[in-house]
Amino acid sequence: MELGIWNSIGIVLGFSLFVIALDEYIAKPWRKRSWERRAASGDKEAQEMLRIAGSANVVDE
Amino acid sequence: MALDYEVPEDKRALYWLGDKLIEYRTPVMALVLLTTGMFAYWSFQLRLVTSFGDLLPQTHEFVKIHNKYSGTFGGANNIVAMMAVEEGTIFTKKNLTKIFEMTEGMDTVYGVNHNQIESIGHRTVRHLRVAAGGTLRAEPVMLRAPKTQEDVDEIRRIVHNAENIYGLIVSLDDKAALLRANFIEGRLDYRRIFEEVNEKVVEPFSDEETKIYVAGEPRLYGWVYSYASDVFWILVVTYCIEWILRWMYFHDWRGALRPTLTGVIAAFWGLGFIHLIGLALDPLMLVMPFLITARAVSHAIQMHDRYYEEFEKCGWNKRRAIVASFAELFVPTFSGVVTDAFGVLVILLVPVIMLQKLAITASFWILAITVSEMLLNPIVYYYLKAPEPELVVLREHGIFRKGIEWFTRLHVSRVGRLATLGVWATAVIVALYFVRGLTIGDPTAASPLVWLDSPYNVSHTEIQGRFGGVEPLIVVAEGFDKDAMKDPEALRTMERFQRAIERDPDIGYSFSLADIIRAVNRVFHELEPKWLVIPDSWTDIGGLFFIFFSGSPPTETAKYVDPSYTTAHVTFYAKNHQGDAIRRIIARCEKFIEENPMDKAAFKLAGGLIGVLAAANQELVRNDLLMNFLGFFTIWVILTFTYRSITAGLYLLAPLLASNVIVNAYMAVQNIGINIHTLPLVTVGVGFGIDYGLYIVSRTIEEIRERSDLTESVHQALITSGKAVTFTAATMIVSTAFWITSNIRFNAEMGLLLAIWMAISYVGSQTLLPILVLVFKPKFIMKEAGRGRMGSGH
Repeated sequence: MELGIWNSIGIVLGFSLFVIALDEYIAKPWRKRSWERRAASGDKEAQEMLRIAGSANVVDE
Repeated sequence: MALDYEVPEDKRALYWLGDKLIEYRTPVMALVLLTTGMFAYWSFQLRLVTSFGDLLPQTHEFVKIHNKYSGTFGGANNIVAMMAVEEGTIFTKKNLTKIFEMTEGMDTVYGVNHNQIESIGHRTVRHLRVAAGGTLRAEPVMLRAPKTQEDVDEIRRIVHNAENIYGLIVSLDDKAALLRANFIEGRLDYRRIFEEVNEKVVEPFSDEETKIYVAGEPRLYGWVYSYASDVFWILVVTYCIEWILRWMYFHDWRGALRPTLTGVIAAFWGLGFIHLIGLALDPLMLVMPFLITARAVSHAIQMHDRYYEEFEKCGWNKRRAIVASFAELFVPTFSGVVTDAFGVLVILLVPVIMLQKLAITASFWILAITVSEMLLNPIVYYYLKAPEPELVVLREHGIFRKGIEWFTRLHVSRVGRLATLGVWATAVIVALYFVRGLTIGDPTAASPLVWLDSPYNVSHTEIQGRFGGVEPLIVVAEGFDKDAMKDPEALRTMERFQRAIERDPDIGYSFSLADIIRAVNRVFHELEPKWLVIPDSWTDIGGLFFIFFSGSPPTETAKYVDPSYTTAHVTFYAKNHQGDAIRRIIARCEKFIEENPMDKAAFKLAGGLIGVLAAANQELVRNDLLMNFLGFFTIWVILTFTYRSITAGLYLLAPLLASNVIVNAYMAVQNIGINIHTLPLVTVGVGFGIDYGLYIVSRTIEEIRERSDLTESVHQALITSGKAVTFTAATMIVSTAFWITSNIRFNAEMGLLLAIWMAISYVGSQTLLPILVLVFKPKFIMKEAGRGRMGSGH
């Protein structure tokens, strides 16, 4: 398949949106569930991550 | 929001600037986006064009001669098509008809110089015929395609008896014929010429029995253009790979997006500027925009990593983190961009228009990074949602971070220091040995722009194999007065010149007015071999020229001699355009010219492809050392101002110099010559190393202010900035190396070379630079010890 400028732009934009969606809707929830599972089984690192996630007071003005 | 928290005193102005950028975000962003929109519009108007004249050093004497005479004696833009038969000879009705029709086809290709086509099927290739009454006439070999076997036999007889044809445009084994066409420089449309030659010369005449091979510069560029769409694949795939890698490193899509924004904005500015100043993109320079964009992305990764670090340090306050990362990285980022931009400007020294335009555009493009990376960056972060704190922390827990930590401990230890210095010293000594083989010009006979097994190089090799040489070197014999070319002594000197230079192993054959006069003299004397000489008197020579040229219009005869017989040429056909061969041939020509002065004329070097390449190579040799020196000197001056220390530049340049020697040695070993295409890439490549070093040294200074201990500070710099440098280098190396899949060999080799360059520069800045700092304890770093970071607003 021969690529030109416009279909190249289409592919990279589509791919970027795909990665953003993958990160927001699949990777992050999966990561959080994974930490919760690991924390429940006594993993210190996972407990620390969850502690930070819960206690951090993010100032996003 | 005012700057109502404590910040380091010496960076207060930068913190203030970062804060103000956020405060006035709407007008700043509107201005930047409006300007970017304009540049984006212009960048979409860009075209892929190579201007042959721009590739030549126009002030060089050879190029002046080339420009003066290329319209008449032939330029550098020849297409050579060879028709070869598998069985039998070309002397059949069918084959000669093909040659005749191929020649007609070539005569209709866009941009061809109709008076500078050589083929037995073209009107300008003539032979002498004794007509009724004993008169002599110069007639075309073929006025039409042969109709009978008698016509074929007659053509064979003519070819076998014509010195200007047999062996030159028909092979000595009668199995191949050449069709050589010169193209007008101002009308070179490589894409169109490529397509029309395929349609009119190659496709209709190729079959099982007949093979058509086409070579020459316009054909080569045509192939390069046909491969240019590869670039889109490479860009798309590298974009996707980089996104995945950045996403994996930052665990967050913002980390993938932010460097992309920087790269895209800088690219619009750069490409738009190229169009704005009336330039086009050269398909052989496509690695260059990629390289500059890679550099923009590399700065952005540093900034993003620092933003995450500051976000944690600032107690998860986004605005403070934005301002702190902006202020803390301002010096290394700005200094890196400025050194790169000014470093590239030294290419201006080479008087090749294309390189000078490239130096200006690359410099502007690199400077545009300051807009996308520094001016707009705090605003982009302001509008992006703050990262999740656990992701910021997570990035410090992965295997990558642990690996860096482990290596750094080992590296700064006593054994590590000794090993680092030992390995680098050995590598430089070995490289210095190999670097002697570095070639200026092309190091191989085939074209280095496309792969050895590409259709172009296969054709080139076939033609060279059958005819010995297709690449012209035109030496002009410029008379002092009219009729100088009728002087027997001038013609004899031209003949001696041919015989002297033909002894060079890389010269296939030669042609001059002397060959014509000898052949005409012999025909005039009933083909007696003893008359194959140049006559002794002006009147005899004038008479013979009259016989030969009287039937031809001046436009046709001008390719041999001008109408007033003042100026003619000797053309040598070289077997290749290797840098060493060109240098040797030109030296031989110069020696002969010096030892054989003429009374009525003087030889002038040099036109044709070999002539202009010789000029380009001479300019590169003349400027290469100076350019390297000035490039490094510029970087040193900027570093001196950045760190207010004369020695700072020396520390940062030492690993760069070592990397430079190793990369040059690699080029020598891999047979990659320095030419007008490789030179700018190599010069831009130098800047990568300095960027990496700047981030590490600046971070070491920051750390020593708080820690006072040099070893600990260096260690901390390597596991923070050094980690981001490592990640940046890894992604850049992977994506640049992907260029090896290109069908354009030049782009593939440059991609690989730059990947190697980046790798060596990275290793130099990550290993040699910190050890030099640890061993020599430079004052510009040590004086900062214990000065403390006066509050940090955290």
